[in-house]
Amino acid sequence: MVTLQSALTGLLLGGLYALMAAGLSVTWGVLRIINLAHFGLILVSAYLTFQLSTRSGLDPILTLVVTVPVMFVAGGALQWAYDRLGISELNSLLVSFGLLIIIVQVASNVWSADFQRMDATVNPYATAAVDTGRLIFPVTTLLAFLIAIGFIGGAHLVLQRTFTGRAMRAFAEDRAIAGAFGIDHRRLGVLLGAVCGATAAVAGMLFALANALTPATAYEWFGTVFAVVILGGIGHLLGTLAAGLFVGALSGVVSVLLSPAAAPFVLFCAIVLALLVRPRGLFVRTVR
Amino acid sequence: MIGLGTACESKSGTDTGTPAASGAPIVVGSTLSLSGAFAATGAIHKIVGEQFVDQLNARGGLLGRQVRWVVRDDESDQAKVSTLYEQLISQDRVDLIIGPYATPNILSAMAVAQRHGYLLPQHTSVLAPLMTYDCQFPGWSIGPKPNEFVPNQLFDAVASLPNPPVKVAILTNQNGSTDFVSYGAQGDQTGAVSIAKQRGLNVVAEIRYPPATTDWAPIAVQVRNAAPDLVVNNGIGVDPVNLLQAMAQLGYKPPLMFSLFPAPGPPLGLGATSDGLLSVTIFEPNKATVDKLGKEAADIVGEFKNRAGAAKLPYTVFETQAAASWTAWEILAAAVKGSGGLDQKALCDKLHRDGADTTFNGHLTFDPKAHNFWPPTQAIKQIQGSDWVTVWPADRAAAQLRRPGS
Repeated sequence: MVTLQSALTGLLLGGLYALMAAGLSVTWGVLRIINLAHFGLILVSAYLTFQLSTRSGLDPILTLVVTVPVMFVAGGALQWAYDRLGISELNSLLVSFGLLIIIVQVASNVWSADFQRMDATVNPYATAAVDTGRLIFPVTTLLAFLIAIGFIGGAHLVLQRTFTGRAMRAFAEDRAIAGAFGIDHRRLGVLLGAVCGATAAVAGMLFALANALTPATAYEWFGTVFAVVILGGIGHLLGTLAAGLFVGALSGVVSVLLSPAAAPFVLFCAIVLALLVRPRGLFVRTVR
Repeated sequence: MIGLGTACESKSGTDTGTPAASGAPIVVGSTLSLSGAFAATGAIHKIVGEQFVDQLNARGGLLGRQVRWVVRDDESDQAKVSTLYEQLISQDRVDLIIGPYATPNILSAMAVAQRHGYLLPQHTSVLAPLMTYDCQFPGWSIGPKPNEFVPNQLFDAVASLPNPPVKVAILTNQNGSTDFVSYGAQGDQTGAVSIAKQRGLNVVAEIRYPPATTDWAPIAVQVRNAAPDLVVNNGIGVDPVNLLQAMAQLGYKPPLMFSLFPAPGPPLGLGATSDGLLSVTIFEPNKATVDKLGKEAADIVGEFKNRAGAAKLPYTVFETQAAASWTAWEILAAAVKGSGGLDQKALCDKLHRDGADTTFNGHLTFDPKAHNFWPPTQAIKQIQGSDWVTVWPADRAAAQLRRPGS
């Protein structure tokens, strides 16, 4: 039962990893931008959640009413700037890392480098759980799981079944040909960047619900989130979701069966092995 | 050529009746982790350093000269610490240095200081066996064997309770600043685990976790199932908050929990979940303690609160980290005043010979054979209500140690 409980909580936490990774994966896969500043948007969203809840007494989940539009605009503006400056895929890594450093420094100046955390009085979700008798579902990770399923599942449907989604996929496959068919890649790119910004707002809120914040937290997400992006297949939303859940569950099981200290080792060994077998991602269908 | 980095220059006016400082300022160089993983605590040390230098200059400086502190951001990167201290000493030719924050960084700075023969007062490295340079002087001491002192003091404290714990879970962050308290260091494997067993305690869970742990549920589940009377969390930062929260999600709260080096503010925000949490301290501004130390200590505590508030720190209480920092600065000032000059060997000899008077730790004596680690003044604190309160040993306690909820 201990192993099952750990696998479950890990799986639920995997929803947060998937949400964090989704925006990064899509901008990388579709727009050819490795946008490390996405971590900065998540960080700022988490701080805004903290700020709005602590100072204004707003329910942390309701802060999305503010943070989603703000990050939608920020994400769109960021993509507009990348596009206008003609930043290549490789250069985007450097440029967006610089942006991330700036965002982290600004966060330090605004909120200090010290730990900031929503008190129990404004954040009742941190210690809440749904108890089914045999298994316990912590509310913070349960929310992350459900939102990830809804958000990523919905986005996948949009990409598959709408004209805009098909245009984006066409653009990802071949920009020139897509452009010849009248697809406005700039407008589409800005829209996609904006939606990715919105996912950052949700991920930031979910992170702030369960964790203390320091500006340097943004760097701690790199390893796991990149693992999820690569494992899920760059640009593949459902793969990202599956990879997030897989990474979370595997870490939970290894933590109990071996040791929490062994979890990163086993996880990254598994990822290396998986990529040796399926280099384009564990959850990407290969066409023969 | 001092101009790069964050330079904190203090030219405060002097108090009435104190001699005005003249001549070129004495320059103290250091790094601090103002960004990166250690920045949360680095910010405390920056405020304390600025406050100390301002106060020193207001009282006439050192040797009749103003003091200027040049502090650079080492970005919590051990490799940068060495380079920056090398620059401070070799290129900038600072008169004095003081340590950075966090044990790994202090070890890097110590190597540079030793190569140049510089005096190195340092704030927080308590890992005595590794601090082998004769002219490093700690501002926080857990004695020559911290891996024995901390567990023994904790187990002594909880043994004084009416129903002392029998079953213990030991959870250890594999961080260089915490792991040695559970498992020893430098060939000495004595630590909380072995000491608990020696004392007849039943170690029902023993878990090591990496510093970047994000999923706390597996640890919480194992602890809940082991049902210990006491959880010893040799962790750092927000580890105890994450653990208590994960355990609360499972509907479980350990009867008693200790955490080694927690960030002091976040646990208080947990409300009843963290009530009764134990930790170590060298100073808490509890009224009884401050009254005993007198007006000077009260003024320092009050001024720090103002400055920390202005710097937007969420927790503005002058406590262990701040007291350790203040003590390190007092050691530096005592060496200069006592030796009457800036010769590094003379400064070091002076401290070995006469020690240093400090506000929060009294008169300190430094024995090179003990790597200058003075007899510990460390105590045990506990969250009672909405504050940290010193509870052990009895002669330093501001309140009685109690079980949560009692």
